[in-house]
Amino acid sequence: MTAPGGELLVFAVLTPVLGILLSFARGGRAAEAITLALAPVGLVLAGFVAWLVAWSGAPLVYEIGGLAPPLGIALRADGASATMMVVTALIVPAAAFYAREKFATPQGGESRSALTFWIMLQAIWAALNLVFLGSDLFNLYVALELLTFAAVPLVCIDGRPETLAAALRYLLFALFGSISYLLGVALLYGGYGTLDIVLLGQKIEGTPLVWTAAALMTAGLLAKTALFPLHIWLPPAHANAPAAASAVLSGLVVKGSFFLALRLWFYVLPGLPIAAPAALLGALGGCAALFGSILALRQARLKLLVAYSTVAQIGYLFLMFPLAAAPAGGALGWSGGFMQVLAHAFAKAAMFLSAGVLAEALGHDRIAQFGGAARALPLTFLTLGLGGLSLMGLPPSGGFEAKWFLLRACAASGQWIWAVPILGGGLLAGGYVFRILAPALGDGEVKVKASPRRSQELVALGLVVIALALAFAPENFFEFIRIGRPLAGGGAS
Amino acid sequence: MIQILLVATLAWPLAFLAACFVRPWRPRALAWQFLAPAPGLAAGLMGLSGPPVSVSALGFVLRLDAPGALLLAFAALLWIVVSATLWRDKDARFGVCWLLTMIGSLGVFVAGDLVSFYLLYALVSLPAYGLFAFSDDPEKQRAGAVYLAFALAGEAVLLAAFALLAAGAPQGVGIAEVMAALPASPWRGAVLVLVVAGFGMKMGLVPFNGWMPLNYRAAPIPVAAVLSGAGVKAGVIGLLRFLPFEAPLAEAGGALAILGFVTAFYGVVVGLTQRDAKNVLAYSSISQMGVISAALGLGLAAGQVSAAGDMAFYAANHLLVKAALFVALGALAVRRPVWALALAGALALSLAGLPLTGGALAKLASKAQFDAGWAKVLATLSSIGSAMLMTHFLTRLVSGEAEAASETPVPLARVWPALALGALFLPWAFAVDPGKALTLDALWDGFWPVAIGVALAPVWRRLSVPQIPTGDSIVFFERGFARLVRLGPAFERADVGLRQWPAAGVSLLVIVLALLAAGLGDFVR
Repeated sequence: MTAPGGELLVFAVLTPVLGILLSFARGGRAAEAITLALAPVGLVLAGFVAWLVAWSGAPLVYEIGGLAPPLGIALRADGASATMMVVTALIVPAAAFYAREKFATPQGGESRSALTFWIMLQAIWAALNLVFLGSDLFNLYVALELLTFAAVPLVCIDGRPETLAAALRYLLFALFGSISYLLGVALLYGGYGTLDIVLLGQKIEGTPLVWTAAALMTAGLLAKTALFPLHIWLPPAHANAPAAASAVLSGLVVKGSFFLALRLWFYVLPGLPIAAPAALLGALGGCAALFGSILALRQARLKLLVAYSTVAQIGYLFLMFPLAAAPAGGALGWSGGFMQVLAHAFAKAAMFLSAGVLAEALGHDRIAQFGGAARALPLTFLTLGLGGLSLMGLPPSGGFEAKWFLLRACAASGQWIWAVPILGGGLLAGGYVFRILAPALGDGEVKVKASPRRSQELVALGLVVIALALAFAPENFFEFIRIGRPLAGGGAS
Repeated sequence: MIQILLVATLAWPLAFLAACFVRPWRPRALAWQFLAPAPGLAAGLMGLSGPPVSVSALGFVLRLDAPGALLLAFAALLWIVVSATLWRDKDARFGVCWLLTMIGSLGVFVAGDLVSFYLLYALVSLPAYGLFAFSDDPEKQRAGAVYLAFALAGEAVLLAAFALLAAGAPQGVGIAEVMAALPASPWRGAVLVLVVAGFGMKMGLVPFNGWMPLNYRAAPIPVAAVLSGAGVKAGVIGLLRFLPFEAPLAEAGGALAILGFVTAFYGVVVGLTQRDAKNVLAYSSISQMGVISAALGLGLAAGQVSAAGDMAFYAANHLLVKAALFVALGALAVRRPVWALALAGALALSLAGLPLTGGALAKLASKAQFDAGWAKVLATLSSIGSAMLMTHFLTRLVSGEAEAASETPVPLARVWPALALGALFLPWAFAVDPGKALTLDALWDGFWPVAIGVALAPVWRRLSVPQIPTGDSIVFFERGFARLVRLGPAFERADVGLRQWPAAGVSLLVIVLALLAAGLGDFVR
């Protein structure tokens, strides 16, 4: 049944699509204006969806064409997806606002890179909304492909050879992931005749077919999320893309495929004994958190450091699997993992935007030559420092809140081992944040090539303030993100 | 009224901090920041008597009880004195770090729940880096890096401890609630180990003591004064808050007492080999923190609830005395009139419990813990050791270094006699029963260990022991760290290897198979 207000979900997906079509039709300068004009509409829609879900305390469903699954396909917004939609509707417009300088269309002409940027940014937004709302595994495959194909061009938008190589690497590896995911979907369809998440979740059994499908789909999603050791493409892609694109790629796009992995394990397979595979995912996540942080410590360039920090922070996300699947403390694990998604999205987007401001102002992003740079760019280094606070997990920040939940989940479920990457990764993060800040705050003189744009600095600061404000999230918020999540045993909470 | 003051203890310095971010207000905010701790001082004085007061706002709980109030009042007083005399033309970077450290330093004494405590504890630890380490001097950079490494490690250990505390107390994260649930918690042992390790890093307990001498030597005198006086007490209040004195825990208490005594004597022995007066003071701090830990351990073993209040008094005395001794280094660097030397001598020996000084009262306060047997013997020996160490300090002070004068702002040097007198006699106003310290027995008990210590000091100097490098065991930590850093390139090579196409393809395949095996494992069973 389509609930009242369910049409909003369609509008949420179609608004950016409409923007893309209009941008193609009007071309040139209009693309930028259309993207920025539709941003508030998207935010209002996402906020309204979240409000409806919170108000009714149940998922908001729209059945396309009035046909219920398994015949038709549905869009479904639960607490988790509504939250992610709001996050997307905050970060994408922030990146768009930030990018106005770099991707302004020249007077009277049309620039290919500008048009591509604005269209791809809107495509990412549409794809992400579809990923969060999709309730059919094949439909989600389409959304995932759309997301990848919109993200890849952003990496190589300025056409330098190394960005092309990075984009190609990203594209090829993502295709491997897609094939793997699609194979799994086909197996499930063969076995159950439906791909609707809710229906599958009720019927699913622990047969070899289901486990094969789950393994293939998960591996595909891990490849797209760049979980260690599948992070082959992430550092070059995220470090070479323009700052605004990196912010969206690192803050949001990798969360898209992660979100699907959550959907698979916690919504499709909740009735099955998933402890062992969940522990495997947690182990990969723990290795990622430590390995990525160590690599981040050793980078000479700020953008690469921030990119490797993303490899590490993605690792924390996967600790959610063993911790949220545990019978004791599972709710803490779920809240903590989700808080990590949000905190990392905002903090990392802010840090990539700041890295962009920095590179523009100094003409380079070599950390060794940051001596005294904080005096020239106080706001930018404030943003980097506050973002670092969240990455290290120091209060008051969303990153702290996430670790606080995850550690309590470790204690409650008796899974001590996950405390090692959580605490060790935090220490290593302290090390790489120190590497950025200590020389910059020290005595020294830097040559500033161009004074930083205040508006760009403020956008980044705004994002990082949200990352810190997450520390004050009330208890109801954590109830909200559990809306519509099936619990082990088949009951919906 | 007291609730308002309690909130203002944090809100008022935060207002100064906020003003620093508005450029036109910044110079004034920095110049007047000595007013920022005023509400803390008032709240501390009002909270000394009466039942604990608590306020909760924005999910944070502030709670003031008698031990916290005493430390708060003394710390606020020290911050006011040092801030008021601090040079005014310091840059904003220093001013902001100063205010942040101040907020944390006052805040830990009033934090009422785990999260606020953790936040304020991080504030008193981390921003202090900016007070001494921004420099081209490699020795200061080294001190800063070592300091930060210990601070961050302490934060990580405490986060684990707090998570266990919270997991053991489902009813809430107020410190009172989690401590009530601790004795029955399945993780009691782990919590105690983590709490002692975490706060031990801040207090410089062996083997985590190496950062302290490096830090105080690198820090300018006003900074060393507030860090050694007020900053370190964040570790003391941590132990006071997070050791369950209600339930007698013989093993845990005994272990802490041994660790404390080891630290107390270790500080004295290594301190005696130091030539730099700042180093001597740092090792004296290490030794004194050891004494406090030993007393707390004995209190824990015996289930003495009063141990927290007693040690708060001991720590409050040390707070002012140690700060005044650091300032003495600057105030007496160039001219040393006889009266000033006498004052410095009384101040120094106060740490050993010289009769009629605040130290005698502090020693009396620890009497309940060091009441009999080996504990009493060791405590007396540690008094003798302290007297030796402080005599050694006085000889280093007399052969003073001129650079200490340049580190000390002139007003701070001028105000030193008042600070020293305050450190000697203010504790008398706050002691529970000061009359006891004036009986003949007490005077004699206080006098003879000091006399022996002073007499032994020249004997020790004859022995001409080789100097132990500043920070002693830190050399081993640094060597171990350097070895870890050397592993870095191996990780880089591993990364390059993993990011090759064939390796990534194999990884993908292995992950599919491993997930399949993990899933089917359950199925087969």
